[in-house]
Amino acid sequence: MRAQGSRLCLVAVLIAVLGSPGVAVAAATITGTVTFAGKAPALKPLAMDADPACAKMHKGPVPAEMLVLGSGNTMANIMVWVSKGLPAGKTYPAPKTPVTLDQKGCQYVPHVMGIQVGQAYRILNSDGILHNIHTLPKINPAFNRGQPATVKEMTTTFAKPEAIFQVKCDVHPWMSAYIGVFTNPFYSVTGSDGKYTISGLDAGTYEITAWHERLGTQTATVTVGASDTKTQAFTFGVK
Amino acid sequence: MSNPADVVHAQHVAHEAHHEELGFWRKYVFSTDHKVIGIQYSITGLLFLLFGFSLMMLMRWQLAYPGVPLPLIGGLFGDARMPGGTMLPEFYNELGAMHGTIMVFLGVVPLAVGGFGNFVLPLQIGAPDMAFPKINMLSYWSLFLGGMTMLGSFFVPGGAAQSGWTSYAPLSVIAGTGQTWWLIGMIFLITSSLLGALNFLTTTIQLRAKGLTFMRFPFFVWAQFVTSFLLLLAFPPLEAAGVMQLMDRVAGTSFFMPSGLIVSGQVLANAGGGNAVLWQHLFWFLAHPEVYVLILPAMGIVAEIIANNTRKPLWGYRAMVYSLVFLGFMSFIVWAHHMFMTGMGTAMAAFFQTTTMIISIPSVVILTSLLLSLWGGSIRFNTPMLFATAFLPMFGIGGLTGLPLGLNISDIPLHDTYYVIAHFHYVVAPGTIFALMAGIYYWYPKATGRKMNETLGKIHFAGSLVFMNVVFMPMFIVGLAGVSRRLFDAGSGYDFAQPTMHWNVVSSWGAWLMGVFQIPFIFNFFWSIRNGEKVGDNPWEATTIEWAAPSPPPHGNFAVAPQAYRGPYEYSVPGAAKDFTPQHEAS
Repeated sequence: MRAQGSRLCLVAVLIAVLGSPGVAVAAATITGTVTFAGKAPALKPLAMDADPACAKMHKGPVPAEMLVLGSGNTMANIMVWVSKGLPAGKTYPAPKTPVTLDQKGCQYVPHVMGIQVGQAYRILNSDGILHNIHTLPKINPAFNRGQPATVKEMTTTFAKPEAIFQVKCDVHPWMSAYIGVFTNPFYSVTGSDGKYTISGLDAGTYEITAWHERLGTQTATVTVGASDTKTQAFTFGVK
Repeated sequence: MSNPADVVHAQHVAHEAHHEELGFWRKYVFSTDHKVIGIQYSITGLLFLLFGFSLMMLMRWQLAYPGVPLPLIGGLFGDARMPGGTMLPEFYNELGAMHGTIMVFLGVVPLAVGGFGNFVLPLQIGAPDMAFPKINMLSYWSLFLGGMTMLGSFFVPGGAAQSGWTSYAPLSVIAGTGQTWWLIGMIFLITSSLLGALNFLTTTIQLRAKGLTFMRFPFFVWAQFVTSFLLLLAFPPLEAAGVMQLMDRVAGTSFFMPSGLIVSGQVLANAGGGNAVLWQHLFWFLAHPEVYVLILPAMGIVAEIIANNTRKPLWGYRAMVYSLVFLGFMSFIVWAHHMFMTGMGTAMAAFFQTTTMIISIPSVVILTSLLLSLWGGSIRFNTPMLFATAFLPMFGIGGLTGLPLGLNISDIPLHDTYYVIAHFHYVVAPGTIFALMAGIYYWYPKATGRKMNETLGKIHFAGSLVFMNVVFMPMFIVGLAGVSRRLFDAGSGYDFAQPTMHWNVVSSWGAWLMGVFQIPFIFNFFWSIRNGEKVGDNPWEATTIEWAAPSPPPHGNFAVAPQAYRGPYEYSVPGAAKDFTPQHEAS
């Protein structure tokens, strides 16, 4: 009975504190859709003939990963993040859950990902053949390690924030992924529906950046209130 | 007293008369006595041979059972090298590069040249010590620093060097930190060899006993003499190349980095104007003479033991000496037969093929002379002699299988396959290392005053002979099937390699069982120091001058400066009272 009473008191205090004026709650959200303008170029499928073991994993041609469009030309694999406006000096602890990169069908899954400094980067080999994971950062030390068929999992971390860089397999040159290393959790990667969502922001004005591996970056400025949800769309096209 | 050896000997005698007993550090650690330094070199070389052999045994697990976790000890190597006990390719490369480096530069050379050369050569020429005792000490400690640098490199981020013992550019230039340590380690090791070579040459020429003319030299002395010339002339280009590669890595130069070099899809900013093949030329200009640095002392040891245990003079001593000198000279003009794959022009290839075929002639003369020396002898099959006689066919296999590699047309399909591994291991493993084992059993009584146990020695010999062949003979088959020596999984991912996979299991079990048969040797080596049969000055009834010294020899070696009255192998002289007539005994 005493324990139940304590929990009730704690809830009452939290409601009082959070509901009182002057205490900001990080609850703002920026969301949006990324679309491709114009006619999509015809991209050659990935050529996996160099390793028959990879080619055998697919029944038909494997579409290129450079440009993945959903219905209505929505764009997948766009990284969107808050590039300016976060409160100075505020730190964001790395999540305990790892970011996972799988090697499946001789492709990296996911193709684009974000990770926080110090967060575990878990690398899986679902294929059961020899792969190689070679990161090509400019600031962090490169990670270049083979992953034989029987080594199903490896883990590493990144110690410093860094703009998006490539991850590639030196055994299978078509295998490519991209990763950005952030000091905060305010980033999102679009799925095939083109949607991204960055939530948990404080009230304020932010610059957000959208990035595509070949079509470059775009920025936008968005101002949000304490619990606003604002929408910001991006459109990429071939110039 | 005009003989420099007599002068130095007199100085030693005068010094001995009123010198104080040296403390532990000066006597055993920072010693200037050639015998202590020789033993330091030998122990260091043996420990590194054991370490390098252990690296190979780990590799053999991966080759026999690719991808299978190594039981019991696999987990000790950490997730960065063997996650869950399974070997990663990078660790395999680390083991391969360091196995080669350690066995050649820290195992065989220190033992064959530093160990036997230091301990035996001054005694065999009747000298009280080396010409430059302090340089001798410096030479050992330079080797020690080089060895520690190489060992330390296993603990740097990314691990030790992974670019093979040949460290081919540009791979080695863009490799991890371990390669920088490798280069610094090599600079210490090369410096050690250069200092040692200078000392051996000066000692041999200046400090030989009165009456010991060049053609009265034991063949071992000749072998060390020619070896010292090879070290002195061949190592400086590699030292220079090592510094240049170091500059490419740390100072942004491009000696070996070609323009427009693309690595992992990116053009390297620091590359430009260099030539990767230049590294190969500089490396092999050392590394081919280095093959003879590994084999000539071995031939010298075998010659001593065969003469002693057949109770006969060496057959064709003069021809052997001339062949040795010719071989030393020729070894400087064959290096590019390692480089036929670089797209060498036919004129250059023809030159290096021709010199390679020519250099086989003096090798065959020496080997044939040693074989013929057995003919009609009263052979004593003690442990040193067993190892020495086994050396002959083993080195023969190594030498003969090298001929196809010396010809452009047959080298190209065999290059970088296991055939090459089998060939050169027959030269240096059952070849050189058997000779070194023979030498240890033979001169152990001189160093300690006791013999090693014969039964344990014969067990060591029998197991080593059988399993050495079990390790390397299958590699000829695997290599002829075209399997590359660089594959971390022995080619398990390739269809063409599948029919050879079981031979890797055979080789690996051979290696591990060979390891088991080294245990009697290790035990015998230490046990015999206190418990071996006590012997006098000349337990083998040998003729050469080192047996005139007490066992073990004191500081200064000889109470009276010895003099040579005859050639080195006066065995079974008709009419003589005994079947050996020592060089130092006046008739």
